[in-house]
Amino acid sequence: MSQPALNQDSLNQDLRRLVYYSRNRVGGPAAMNETIRGILAASRTNNARVGVTGALMFNAGCFAQVLEGPGEAVETTFERIQQDERHGEVSLLAFEAVETRLFTEWSMAFVGASQADAALYGDMAGESGFDLSRMTGNNLCAVLHGLALEEEAAAA
Amino acid sequence: MPAFMSALAAPSLPVSLPFEAALAEMAAPLLLLDAGGTVLFTNARAAALLSCAEPVGLSLPVLLAQSGAAEPEGEPVLEAVRATRPARARLTLDGDRRVEAALAPLSAGGFALTFEDVTEQLRGAALARQEPLTGLCNRVGLHDRLHAALAEADRTGAPLAVLMLDLDRFKAVNDTLGHPVGDALLRKVAERLRKATRSGDVVARLGGDEFAILQAGAEQPQASEALARRLVDLVGRTYVVDGHMLNVGVSVGVAVAPVDGRGADDLLKHADLALYRAKAEGRGTYRFFEPAMNAQMQARRSLEIDLRRALALKQFDLAFQPQIQLETGAVTGFEALLRWNHPERGPVSPALFIPLAEEIGIIVGIGEWALRAACREAASWPQPASIAVNLSPVQFRGGKLVETVMNVLAQTGLDPARLELEITEGALLENTDSVLDVLNGLRALGVKISMDDFGTGYSSLSYLQKFPFDKIKIDQSFVRGMEGNAECGAIVRAIARLGASLGMRTTAEGVETPSQLDAIRAEGCTEVQGYLTGRPMPAAQAAALLSSSPVASPADAA
Repeated sequence: MSQPALNQDSLNQDLRRLVYYSRNRVGGPAAMNETIRGILAASRTNNARVGVTGALMFNAGCFAQVLEGPGEAVETTFERIQQDERHGEVSLLAFEAVETRLFTEWSMAFVGASQADAALYGDMAGESGFDLSRMTGNNLCAVLHGLALEEEAAAA
Repeated sequence: MPAFMSALAAPSLPVSLPFEAALAEMAAPLLLLDAGGTVLFTNARAAALLSCAEPVGLSLPVLLAQSGAAEPEGEPVLEAVRATRPARARLTLDGDRRVEAALAPLSAGGFALTFEDVTEQLRGAALARQEPLTGLCNRVGLHDRLHAALAEADRTGAPLAVLMLDLDRFKAVNDTLGHPVGDALLRKVAERLRKATRSGDVVARLGGDEFAILQAGAEQPQASEALARRLVDLVGRTYVVDGHMLNVGVSVGVAVAPVDGRGADDLLKHADLALYRAKAEGRGTYRFFEPAMNAQMQARRSLEIDLRRALALKQFDLAFQPQIQLETGAVTGFEALLRWNHPERGPVSPALFIPLAEEIGIIVGIGEWALRAACREAASWPQPASIAVNLSPVQFRGGKLVETVMNVLAQTGLDPARLELEITEGALLENTDSVLDVLNGLRALGVKISMDDFGTGYSSLSYLQKFPFDKIKIDQSFVRGMEGNAECGAIVRAIARLGASLGMRTTAEGVETPSQLDAIRAEGCTEVQGYLTGRPMPAAQAAALLSSSPVASPADAA
């Protein structure tokens, strides 16, 4: 999945990175579990087709997401998120042209401090190839991680 | 063999040759059926329309089925054949041709069945009801659908809701990023509206950034309230368009039938009134129609008509309130205050009519009248006292303010140094740079500029730094609060010192009691204006006051 996206990037001058976070409006752990796994599955198929990769971090308080890909595909993907009522108060942190991707495929990780939630979703990072070291390498992503933890604390 | 030749062989149809040739050649597709519904004759156009090489001998149900006519559509025609009566029905042939079929029983027995191809006509009608940019319904389409929905609601007694929507801040997007980005944004807004509504709802774009939604078949007002709340959330979320991050909001007005009106026009009008209220109360929100809105709008409209007439008839007047130099007690000048005495309404409060005059733009005309009248009056005074005139933020937008002031000064012969123009912070909030240009242009004419009502609003100190005001007028709320509230005293003191160190005079407004006067004197203000030192008075009285008291010239006061 990652190879075609990477190969096209060298030809594609219009590579963009969009970063946002939003309040999580999904209620209850069961609904949360279903939603999160649904988003991961849908993201992998839909986004891969249009060359969008990225990372979704989530916890009980928020979704925080990095989208990377061709400008138009990122815009379309983001617009779909904006039309989704499960996301509330979306804060767009950045939408910028970049040279290379931070995430070459779809990754997803639980980034909460809650032990119980970590037990529920902890497997997801490994399953999706999420690599936190790549997050810390980018200032914006590190900020995003911090915001996610803050939202979780506010929601608790 | 031509179709009509086969009809010649049909024994039960006694037609003579010229008629038959005419039928065969006529432009309208035609079938002749016997009493049982079997095809006896077809002209070439009918055969082509039905895509059937040899219809003669087929029964009508078989022929229609072969031509792809959807089953339930043909039923009224078949039913009419069985009952030997005329019928009209619209059929869909081969999936996309729409035809209007007319069945007429013949006196000689049997039927004539003619067709009219209405595909293009229907397509044209649909296009005429569609808005090309977003593909949403247009105003005509909304009216059609609303009329139909209201007729249906009348039968069933079910309620329906009309939501009127107006985007907030859309004009700024269009103005700064251009129409292509504005259009792309409108398409995204339309998509969010479609997504937020159910498939049975009608979403229309009425033009510009105005949209409307017709919501039928749901419980009201709960459903429209839920939808309005959802729209404010979803439409208000950030957009990414052509690489730009855009933020617009939406205001929504809702009217529900039958309680808010039974006719389409009433409902639309009432939803519009509710929208007006939503916008007046901060935008980015929704309001339901209330009957009182009608009365308020009527009152506003009638005030608007009277206000326009007042400008034409020069029903306005000026009152002059003295400004006193604290050090000497001398009158330094007057502030001209606008008064409107309507023949029937009596005196109308400026707090009521000035915001309306600003909203409808005629404040520009009223302001110019006031400026001219004040300057003319001041020019006739026995002493060269100053005259302060208020400017509305709206007057800065037309790009003609400097020219107007220059003309008025020339016409009245008033020394520019005696004119003080008072502006509020509101004037500086929008387009600060262009407003500063105007202020510098006014300053170049030699007039003085005061900052009015300072301390309320944003009180941004950067405005004081960006433009060297001649005078700061401290809002009356602080002066009134000084006796019971130490903070008010501290604020007055701080502004007075700020003025002193920036070389600006400070006027305390709203002084009503001797102890307030003592307090502002102690805090270091240079001038005072209030009921204690002089109420607003007619022009003649102001002139008389000047004749009887020593005057500090504006130059001395500076």
